[in-house]
This record gives sequence, structure tokens and C-alpha cells, in this order.
Amino acid sequence: MRPEELIAALDEALPALLTDKVSGAAVTSLERLSGGANNETWRLVWGETPLILRRRPFSADSVADLEGNILGLSLVDEAQVIRLASSTDVPVPEIHAVFDERHPIGEAFLMGFIDGESIPQRWLADAQFEGARNKLAYQCGEALARIHTIDCSNLPASIGPTTLQRRFDAAQHRLHAFGDVSPALQFGLNWLIEHAPEDTPHVLLHGDFRTGNLLIDKHGLAGVLDWELTHQGPPAEDLGYLCAYVWRFGQLDKPVGGFGHYADLIKGYESVAGWCPDLASIRYWEVFAALSWGLVCQTMGALWHSGEGDVERAAVARRRSEAELDMLLLIDDWERP
Amino acid sequence: MTQTRNSATAAELSTDALLTAVKAFLMDNAAPNLEGRHRFNARVAANVLGIIQRERTIGPTLQALDEDALHRWLPESESKEPVQELSRALADGRITPDDTFFDYLKARQLLVSAINNPRYASRAIAEERWGV
Repeated sequence: MRPEELIAALDEALPALLTDKVSGAAVTSLERLSGGANNETWRLVWGETPLILRRRPFSADSVADLEGNILGLSLVDEAQVIRLASSTDVPVPEIHAVFDERHPIGEAFLMGFIDGESIPQRWLADAQFEGARNKLAYQCGEALARIHTIDCSNLPASIGPTTLQRRFDAAQHRLHAFGDVSPALQFGLNWLIEHAPEDTPHVLLHGDFRTGNLLIDKHGLAGVLDWELTHQGPPAEDLGYLCAYVWRFGQLDKPVGGFGHYADLIKGYESVAGWCPDLASIRYWEVFAALSWGLVCQTMGALWHSGEGDVERAAVARRRSEAELDMLLLIDDWERP
Repeated sequence: MTQTRNSATAAELSTDALLTAVKAFLMDNAAPNLEGRHRFNARVAANVLGIIQRERTIGPTLQALDEDALHRWLPESESKEPVQELSRALADGRITPDDTFFDYLKARQLLVSAINNPRYASRAIAEERWGV
């Protein structure tokens, strides 16, 4: 959709929806932000208020085949989850309007703009965020514990319960479907199956809680973004995912997202939940996160083969080797005396 | 009649030199003159040429390692695709990985990541721990 078409559709739809919420009568600026493998993110100004539109240029409806799935939830369901999260103290944008795929705007939702820095390379390095970085691991623990209290009985039907066995089966299916090209990922999947923890009660997980999906201001965590990979699973999964090597931006000595330490993450989680998964189970899910990232890279390659996407997508396919290397390193760590 | 070419014209440009030339064009000429997504993708494309260059150098060593592994762990196999065959054997239990197999995976991964992303942070740790 061309920007001028999108502006026309927004100008038509929004006045009725934003009355009493946001003053203004028309879109005064619209710009496409980068990011998102599946969804477009647009920053627009309505009257004088900046807003964010997440829009999917094609239709997709389920995370049933979870491992390595990059399509995620429909935006309609994602908006519902963000609304559920806003009933906790987790910082999320306010959802102003939701459109399904039949609407002229396309499948999309409109949300408030939270001021903050979203580019990790900036807030991980810049001195002005030092204070924020120091408390961030604790705050992430708090936020995850809060997300995990969301009542799963209110979730959209697409976020159904699953089991670890189904996750393993989905991962194996994908490894075969991609042509069995990675002995390292297969070795890792076998290891994960062998070392699988008891299936603990599942909670709602953010599912993609990593450094690149956090919005940071000088006080620390200002927003938790990108809820499209939300699913049910054991609490340790979200914690391990945040600590995955691939999301540490090269700061391997700071296991929590490249900015913090396990002890602070655990303390923050405990302060809300009254308990926390132990370090071993967090590390188990770091290995799992490596497998998931490897499968995402493979999926990108498969999409490119099917004619979807540009040279970046083809290049990401080769980043599978990062996931493979991390997986072997983590297992090596685990097996060391 | 035999002519002696001077060195500048006699030099056949190698594939590697051609890739270097195109990479320089993408980084130094194309990217700065493009905007947004195209500029980003021009840099990505230059990096992809780097992958190809490294694969041309390191690929044969990797291939030999994989073929050795196939003969070692699946001596009966006549597969021409050692990597796929080893993966499938891991999946269906024909190979029960021991320390030696893990060592093979580590050695191959050092090569694979040297091709795809030699600057990836955890590669330095892996190189220190597993490198020869």
C-alpha cells in the first residue's frame, strides 16, 4: 500500500475511533519505520499526537506450529494481548484501534507512541543510559513476572496450551522440512529432548522478550514491544530467551540481554512472583532459544526461496551458523565439570 | 608471432578479485548513493560477497571434514550429501553422539562460522576453547 493510500484510509477511519481519545482531524505526517520481518511499522501524527500503526501486508493467523515460526499472531490477537498486559504494571502502549484484514487499512492496530530509545546499539553503549542499564535486569525480571500473572483463560483462541513434546516435534518437523542441513541443530534438539525438564505449569509468555524489543528511557524500562510471538510455556523460557547469546549484542559477559546479570534478573522476578525459576532452567532455555533462532534463520531462507523477500532475508539464512555455534558452546558449558 | 604482454594486462583477474571489486562498488559507490532500505541492502549484499569469498577458501576444508565424518560414523553410507546424512542419522538414532562426535561438530562449526560470520562475538570464545 502506498503511503498516500494509507493516509486516505486512516483519514477516513480514524475520526470516529479517536473521538474523546486523541484530538485531531487528519494525519499530518506518516513515515515508515524500519524493523519487523512480517509487519510494517508506521509512525504517524494525528493532529499533533504521534501514534504508531502496526500493519501486516498479508494475512496469517496462527502460531500453531511454534518452533521457528516467524509469522506469529494475527495483529488482532496481538492487540488483545497488549490490552491484557496493560492491566498489569508492564509498560505497554495503549491500543487505540484494531482493524481486521477486511478493512481498507488492512490487518493492523493503532497504538500510542511511547517516548524512548529502541535501538539497542544506542542504549547499550550511550553513557546517558548508564543508570537505566544498571536497573534494567531487575526491571525485566519484574516485568516478566507480571506478564506471567496474566490469566490464560482470557487469551485469544490462537494462543492455546502446548506441551514441550509438541514443541520438540515441531522443531524436528522443521529440521526435516528444511532438508536436514544442520547436524549442530539436530544435535542440540537431541540434547534438549534428553535434558528436558518436567513440564511445569504453563503461563502466558511474551515469547520474544529480548533487548531489541525493549524501549528504554533514562529511568530504565519504558516499554515492552512486539508481542506477536506470545504463547504459553514455562516461566523459565522467557527468562532464558532474554539471556540467549544471540541477543547479547556481543556483550557476552552480561548474560541478561547484554546489559545485566542473572542475579538481578532473578531478584526482580522474585520481588513480584515470590519465587523464580532456578539458573539451570534459565540456561536450559538459552539452549532452546538458540535452536529457535536457528530455525528462524532457516525459515527466512525458505521464504526467500519461495520468492518472498530480498537479499537481507537470504543473508539472514546464513546467520543460522550463529545459532549453531551458540548451541554447541552452551552445551559445552553445561557438560563441563 | 609471440608477444610478451606486460604484467598489467597479463594478469587474469581471479574470481576473488572480481568479488572484491564488486564488493567495493556496493560499499563505496552504490550504498552512499542509495537511501533507506536499498542502502541497507547494498551493504548486506557486499557482506554476502564476503561470505562467498570465504566459502571459496574454507569450503574445501569443511567438505573434507564432513566426508571424513561420514566415513567414520556411517561407514556403510554411500551418500553424496554427508551433512544431510549425518543429520538424519542423529535424528533417527543411527548415531549416538559421543565426545569425539561432539568434537567433530565443534571443529566444523568453527569453519562454518568462519565462512558466514567470522566476527560473531561467541566465535572468539569458541576459537579459544576449541581451536587448534
